[in-house]
Amino acid sequence: MTAASTIRRALLRHPGWVRIGVVVILLCAWELAARFVVDPMFLSPPSRVLASLDRVWGTPGVPAALRVTFFELAVAFAISVAIGLVIGLAVGLQSFARLSVMPIILLLYGMPQITILPLFILFFGIGPASKIAFGVSHGVFPIVLAIVAGVQNIKPILLTSARSMGASRWHILRYVIFPHMIPSFFAGMRLGMTGVLLGVLLAELYVSTAGIGHFTTQFTQNFDPTRLLGLISILAAMAIVLNEIVRRAEIRFGKWHSS
Amino acid sequence: MAGGREQRRKWASRAVQAGFLVVLTLLWYLATTRWGVSSLLLPNPVRVVQQLGDILRSGEFVGDLKITVAELAAAFAVSSTAGVTFGYFLSRSPYLVRVFEPLLAGVYAIPIILFLPLYVLFFGLGPASKIALGATISFFPIVLNTLAGFGNVERTLVVAARSMGASDYHLFRYVLLPAALPVMLTGLRMGFTVALLSIIGSETIASLAGLGHRIVYLAESMEMPRMFAYIAFVVVIAVFLNTVVSTFEGRFRREP
Amino acid sequence: MTPDIAIRVRNVTHQFGEEGETRHVRALSDTSLDVKRGELLCLIGPSGCGKSTLLNMIGGLLTPTSGTVEIAGKPVRGPLPHDIAFVFQENALFPWNTVLENILLGMLFQGVPKAEREARARRSLEAVGLADFAQHYPAQLSGGMRQRAALARALSLETDILLMDEPFGALDEQTRMVLGEDLSVLLSRARKTIVFVTHSLGEAVFLADRVAVFSARPGTIKQVIAVDEPHPRKPAFMTSDKFTALRNQLYGLLHDEIRKTMAEAT
Repeated sequence: MTAASTIRRALLRHPGWVRIGVVVILLCAWELAARFVVDPMFLSPPSRVLASLDRVWGTPGVPAALRVTFFELAVAFAISVAIGLVIGLAVGLQSFARLSVMPIILLLYGMPQITILPLFILFFGIGPASKIAFGVSHGVFPIVLAIVAGVQNIKPILLTSARSMGASRWHILRYVIFPHMIPSFFAGMRLGMTGVLLGVLLAELYVSTAGIGHFTTQFTQNFDPTRLLGLISILAAMAIVLNEIVRRAEIRFGKWHSS
Repeated sequence: MAGGREQRRKWASRAVQAGFLVVLTLLWYLATTRWGVSSLLLPNPVRVVQQLGDILRSGEFVGDLKITVAELAAAFAVSSTAGVTFGYFLSRSPYLVRVFEPLLAGVYAIPIILFLPLYVLFFGLGPASKIALGATISFFPIVLNTLAGFGNVERTLVVAARSMGASDYHLFRYVLLPAALPVMLTGLRMGFTVALLSIIGSETIASLAGLGHRIVYLAESMEMPRMFAYIAFVVVIAVFLNTVVSTFEGRFRREP
Repeated sequence: MTPDIAIRVRNVTHQFGEEGETRHVRALSDTSLDVKRGELLCLIGPSGCGKSTLLNMIGGLLTPTSGTVEIAGKPVRGPLPHDIAFVFQENALFPWNTVLENILLGMLFQGVPKAEREARARRSLEAVGLADFAQHYPAQLSGGMRQRAALARALSLETDILLMDEPFGALDEQTRMVLGEDLSVLLSRARKTIVFVTHSLGEAVFLADRVAVFSARPGTIKQVIAVDEPHPRKPAFMTSDKFTALRNQLYGLLHDEIRKTMAEAT
């Protein structure tokens, strides 16, 4: 048994290691390219980006901008969930409402909202309100759709069974429809978070007079890829964390028990 | 034949939808003409329609439209070629699929639009950065769907073909490709939609030309009616392009 | 109405959809039936003959297009959760609740005072042999155990009447056999009026006091056969000559109707 084949066997059994290996190789390629191939005006190696993170944080205004962005994301998500829940239940539970209103909702969802981003800024100003509004406008639709689906695809026999035991309308809503819809609700929230991230970050990048958009523009115009990459990394980490939270919540709370 | 209650419900729901549009338009008109909503916020719908007519007649839109469509075509060409090729070759090894699929899917956790400033720094404010970003973003749904399409071909089909003496080329052309095509086409459709959105988005945020930029320019000069007209125009173009692509996808899904 | 008759069905018809619609189906035509208190009556017939429709009408889940249904003298106009409990073929347990929670929930719907619920639930779980599985979720149980749980839920409601719509229809033959024997033992103690829909000839003869045979769609009751055998039915009954003769009689009645239904379907 040669060393090579032992290693090969080990790698085959643990694709996770190979995955990490691939990421490491990509990082190395980035490092080498940025150091030796590409003009430092355009690209910065990961080692330097990492080392300069404190400089990014030290840039006056950046921590505040990041805090505001995080706040906007949290608020937009909360509002999306609240509105999505209300609309989703209202439309999902009433069949006529669903028949007439759903096409309108789907039409709005299919519209390229990016075209009206300047309008949002004009209406709501350059402060957090417009970013939150744009985030909600992206995040609310997946939640509504998921809740409507969760309410609609309930097996009729469960409703019949409850009715036959004397359940009132309130009983059915609270003990049958609501628990049934929970997995769909969590799946919708996961997609909603993606939407909120997209909406808020788009709006932030667009408004270059305040917030992180101001700093991305500044770093770009000053040909400072180190700090730009640093800022982007921080935002990417924020996005990953938020997405992971919703994903974990879905796994923990969003599934019925099954073996 | 009279369908009774069901037909009535369908008509009633259509009436609600039509009524919604009518009421919305009415409110818009009244808000700008009677209720004193500032025309800096909401322009008179009649003026918007007039501006739209003007734009169409003068052909002013052609320059920006050409740029946007060219960027879209270039981005999609790059991402579809790369995505399909990479996806196909990756699918040939189930092990590599296990390694790479989570990595590729994991990218969805980050909104890639975040990298726009980096692309602008690298490529400048011109079309190149939009094409590069559009290609990057649309690469992922294409490669993942191609991977899934080729990866999930029924084993028995392959075995049966081989047993009848099919060569590698035969296998690819007559078994793998047709089997993978529906899922692949869905991925291509998703990639196209996402490329279009990202290009308009990057034109909005950082650009000197293109339809997205035009809207921003008009917003900054507070030319509200013309801006609304362009928004309507872009929405129609986007819906049109997406419908074309969806129909294409549907056509291929039905033919075996 | 004499106190002997628990359920009285008179000239009941049912159609789905309206005339002229593509969906129009005449499910049941001019059916009448008396179910005696304390007896187990089986409804058997070819697919689509309306036996489940009739069951749902008795239980107040469906309103007949014409005709009347009376339970203990009262006309049926909707579900009567205090008089009637259902056991459906499958999937009627709430998947997000444990077996115990499912049973408690049924009683909550019916209006049983909170203090009594737990005791009743435990009793019915004992009766069906699921006392050790109270904390399990339906997905963790086999098909047979799920139906036992559904039965426990129905029993805990302590109604006089039990309506069972092919409760063992989704189970394999061996499980059906065991459950059938257990059911017979259980019901001989419980003194309920039961209407039981089934496709299985053997099951009908083994469990029922009387078997109502349906004709093909639009269905009506062709004939009612009596099974004169004391409860609880012993496994030996299944291999007796009497059983075989009754089963053959059912087969003779049903065979043409089944053929008619198959022909219509093609």
